[in-house]
Amino acid sequence: MIAYKFLRRDGRSLFTGFRWPLPDGAPGAWVEAPVDPCRSGIHACHTSGLPYWIGRSLYEIELDGDIREEPTKLVAPRARLLRPVTAWNDSLRDEYTRMCADRAHEVALDDAPRLEEWDAVVEPSIPEGPALLGFVAARIAEERHGIDGYHDERGRQAAWLVERLGLQDDTAS
Amino acid sequence: MAEHVTCQDVVELATEYLEHTLPADEAALFEQHINFCDGCDWYLDQMRTTVAAVGRIEEEDVPPETREKLLAAFRDWKRA
Repeated sequence: MIAYKFLRRDGRSLFTGFRWPLPDGAPGAWVEAPVDPCRSGIHACHTSGLPYWIGRSLYEIELDGDIREEPTKLVAPRARLLRPVTAWNDSLRDEYTRMCADRAHEVALDDAPRLEEWDAVVEPSIPEGPALLGFVAARIAEERHGIDGYHDERGRQAAWLVERLGLQDDTAS
Repeated sequence: MAEHVTCQDVVELATEYLEHTLPADEAALFEQHINFCDGCDWYLDQMRTTVAAVGRIEEEDVPPETREKLLAAFRDWKRA
């Protein structure tokens, strides 16, 4: 299965700090770890999970073995990085951050009642980066429309990423 | 369970997360929060550093005077 994985800028995992064998013209070496979600195993996601795990660099990853599907992620016993998604660069990160901020303003202010207190947190959050702005936009949508609003906003963010990164929507079928 | 983890939740759940006793669905929400919240990420790093530094100290390694001070501090904290 082909999926996606965010890493730190230096190729380490976001949470464990594991240094991944990076692709260099050819796929990186296979990595193995027993599956135990959030504790052990190779964690990756479908395109729909991308907004929840935003990091500095993004890779296409091949998962192998008995893959476990969780709400926002996949956990596999074996995987290798296939290629960096180079379209996910600093410029597109900034663009995504701005898109989320604009969307947060729109959801907060375009309908009555205006959610002024929620809107006030948007601009000061921008320096914290795209992961926070995505959450802020989704939380404001939740305040406006309930938990479905939160998930719909996350879906909207994922669709934006799929389009701008030139990915295949792997959850459409 | 809730759909989000707050900064206060992170403080309360950090030990369970670090000891891998948090249920997987809660751990996922915990990590989503850590991913966008630099303050909580730093807090967790501090916790890891503390565990690495003092996590191997046994009860008998603590001098009696220090032990009494710690016990007194925790007694007062519970009353507060």
